[in-house]
Amino acid sequence: MVEFVVNGRPVNVETDAAKPLLWILREDLGMSGPKYGCGVAQCGACRVLVNGVSRPSCVTYPGDVVGANIVTVEGLAAPDGSLSVIQQAWIDEQVPQCGFCQPGFLIAVTALLAEVPRPTDAQIDAAVTNICRCGTYPRIRRAIHRAAATLAQG
Amino acid sequence: MPRLLSRRTFLLTGAALGGTALVAAIGGAGYLATVDVDGRDGFLDGDRAVLNAFVVLHDDGRVVVNVPKTEMGQGIHTGLAIVVAEELDIPFDDRISVVFPTDPHPAYSNWFNALQIRPEEAAGPVVWVGRRVLGQMGFIATGASGSTMGMWHPMRQAGASARHMLLAAAAARLGVPVAELATGDGFVRHAGSGQSLSYGELARAAALLPPPDDPVLKPRAEWRLIGRSQPRVDLPDKVRGAPVFGMDVMLPGMIHAAIRHAPVFGAEVASVANTAQVRAEPGVLDVAVINGRQVAVVAHSWWQAEQAASLLDIAWTQTGDEAANSAGMAARLQAALNNSEPHSHIDDGDAAEALGDAAATLVEAGYDVPFVTHACMEPVNATVIIRDDGTAEAWISTQSPMAVRSGVARGAGWAGVEPSSVTCNVTMNGGAFGRRSDQDVAAEAAFLAARHRGRPVKLIWSREEDIARGLYRSHAACRLRAALGPDGLPVAYDALVAAQSAFQSIGSRNLPFTPGPDGDILSVEGLDKLHYTIPNRRMRSIHVPSHMPIHFWRSNGFSFNTFFTESFIDECAQAAGADPLDYRRALLRDTPRHLAVLDRVADMAGWGSPMAPGRGRGIAIEECYRSVVAQVAEVTVAADGEITVDRVFCAVDVGMAINPDAVVAQMEGGILFGVTSALMSMITLDRGAVVESNFHDFPIQRLANAPAVKVALVDTGLPPCGAGEPGIVPVAAALANAIHAATGRRLRSLPLARTETIGERRTRSVLRDPAA
Repeated sequence: MVEFVVNGRPVNVETDAAKPLLWILREDLGMSGPKYGCGVAQCGACRVLVNGVSRPSCVTYPGDVVGANIVTVEGLAAPDGSLSVIQQAWIDEQVPQCGFCQPGFLIAVTALLAEVPRPTDAQIDAAVTNICRCGTYPRIRRAIHRAAATLAQG
Repeated sequence: MPRLLSRRTFLLTGAALGGTALVAAIGGAGYLATVDVDGRDGFLDGDRAVLNAFVVLHDDGRVVVNVPKTEMGQGIHTGLAIVVAEELDIPFDDRISVVFPTDPHPAYSNWFNALQIRPEEAAGPVVWVGRRVLGQMGFIATGASGSTMGMWHPMRQAGASARHMLLAAAAARLGVPVAELATGDGFVRHAGSGQSLSYGELARAAALLPPPDDPVLKPRAEWRLIGRSQPRVDLPDKVRGAPVFGMDVMLPGMIHAAIRHAPVFGAEVASVANTAQVRAEPGVLDVAVINGRQVAVVAHSWWQAEQAASLLDIAWTQTGDEAANSAGMAARLQAALNNSEPHSHIDDGDAAEALGDAAATLVEAGYDVPFVTHACMEPVNATVIIRDDGTAEAWISTQSPMAVRSGVARGAGWAGVEPSSVTCNVTMNGGAFGRRSDQDVAAEAAFLAARHRGRPVKLIWSREEDIARGLYRSHAACRLRAALGPDGLPVAYDALVAAQSAFQSIGSRNLPFTPGPDGDILSVEGLDKLHYTIPNRRMRSIHVPSHMPIHFWRSNGFSFNTFFTESFIDECAQAAGADPLDYRRALLRDTPRHLAVLDRVADMAGWGSPMAPGRGRGIAIEECYRSVVAQVAEVTVAADGEITVDRVFCAVDVGMAINPDAVVAQMEGGILFGVTSALMSMITLDRGAVVESNFHDFPIQRLANAPAVKVALVDTGLPPCGAGEPGIVPVAAALANAIHAATGRRLRSLPLARTETIGERRTRSVLRDPAA
């Protein structure tokens, strides 16, 4: 059994210690936001925040998240449903195409901007290593800068 | 898929046509002169007022648009909702939602892709019969960049028809003539009395009125939505992480399946040595051999199923392809180019004689590309239930509900079950690129569902199954020859391509019969260069069979032939001592549309301005899916061969762009997809099996190596053309030409580079054999 907090909700899950967090979230907790894309920490579609750090949940295990505060893409919007600044920037720049990878990008960028409020392109390149097969990268870069500018205005 | 089925449907259409032509001849052909609109009658369905097959109103003013096209990232749900909203005369806001209808209504058939006749131009008996046959077949599919071309006009008509019915309902309610009424913002207004009625109030009465015979469409000058960028209707859910994809489907009582396919394509299951052991693993419910060809594990969770499947000890039958490897496969293509009897597609003038003219300058070059795969971000999956009453239902990321219905019936049949009906729920697709038009995963899931009657079974292929045991675009090789005249321009052009027929392979898996391989049009897309003025032209193809399963892959033959031909045109320009842009301008002297696009991209890129040493720019142009697309790539090549794609400029004429920003996005995405393919993508074979298995060895561009992209839309006044695939088409040639400009080296094989890992999830591309 493992206990943690996900999107503000305390949960405890009876699970195999070898079961990745991704599948605990998707199968045991019914959360579809984190996606299975590769299973080997290559694509980033499964990323979640674990105590504020962006982690690929496909290689994160119950033992890694005991008592942790986990945020998935479903937890980025405010409780009243309003989008986060980053999600809104994704809409404003019309970023997603198929959209399957975007939850992972939104998590990676949320972690980046929390740490580096006005990242350079090089900092973005280093921090955001997710894969998008549709090729939305030019818009992702624009949306990151837009969100950073909005956040800087407070 | 659509193009494949077009052959079959042409046959069926032809058979039906004879009878109908006879009826028409006897009964008078007048009724065939125009094509009537399918699904135009309204009805009431609970709280829904169905105005026609495409427009549903609720009494609170919500408008549901039925879009029978798969949303796989291209924005088609938004584009087609825009044309309905335009004709309905409502703002494009959150009162509008889009659903993919589950009812295989004939109005939803993809007859445009099959018949290649625009609905707005369609008339006469062939179309009349073709529509009916295709409609009855449930021919609903998304592909070949044809959705806007095929649907924008019928959906304009649907919107206009619904508006007409709302006006008529208001006229009856208010007791005034329709001519005194106006629409706007979801209301019908009567200026004389100041009265107004909302669409919601009128919907139920309107649905029961007769639709107009020929709804009047809004004149272009009055458009407020079409041609102006609107936000995508599917994005709010997607940024919230809502469960919109096939993989996200959750149903009560659902069980989960993982699968193993044969490493060597075509092999069958000889034995499973440890069925009992795997069956005893935690959560496992079933270990099943599917149709003798795959082994699936069904469990309470997919993770349990996949864990158990990894323990399977499967012996596969020998097929004779166990020694196949990439070098041998490539040699087969070369041998075919040298020795086979090609199929002739074009033989205009006398290319052979012109090529033998001793006075001409002969240019000859060979090119080749490897197998590649789709690697959609959402791995292949399907959820199917077969209920005790015999009905079946699927929830699936698919491009083709027709293929799903057929696949479910086939898969259930392997278990001895014949479903009484198959309902297909088309979810959002996490990428598709042609991949999701095959029946494979639907059939597999249906077989398992038939073994577990009454429970939904969700089958997910692991990423490894997706890449190493999946479907592929053919490898290909070609030989191009040109004879240049005194002015340096080609007098003759001779193209010969060797590839595996996609039609034959797809048909063998998806149709009751296997089409012949010769003359595969997918193998020669991008090879004819008809837009270039060349007096003598020959184009031939050779089908080279293999055990590899070949499938549609975004832009199909264009993805290799345009690399071949637009590289070759640069080689001809070089032989003629001409600038690549000037050379193409001369060749396009008879096609002003292409010239306008070419000139636009050259202008955007500052063609001709000096570049630093080690940098270069290359240009390429193609006509595809009725669009014309030209690109200029700028690259930097370091001394050690590292190549950086700095910028890609793109000018494209997709005709009238309904949602311009979505077209721009398709070009951007196509370019990135094409850069990945040109620099990085290669499926290799060893001992008959695919070597690559995941993104570490089938790499994709990431943010760090993605070029800047600039797109311009050129409008030469044409109706909408295809936009989903053109973006990818010229990239590889533009890159190869840029590398030549930067280094003097002509690269004639894809991928142009090898991928080196330089950190965690970070790569660089290095030209192959930089010393050459």
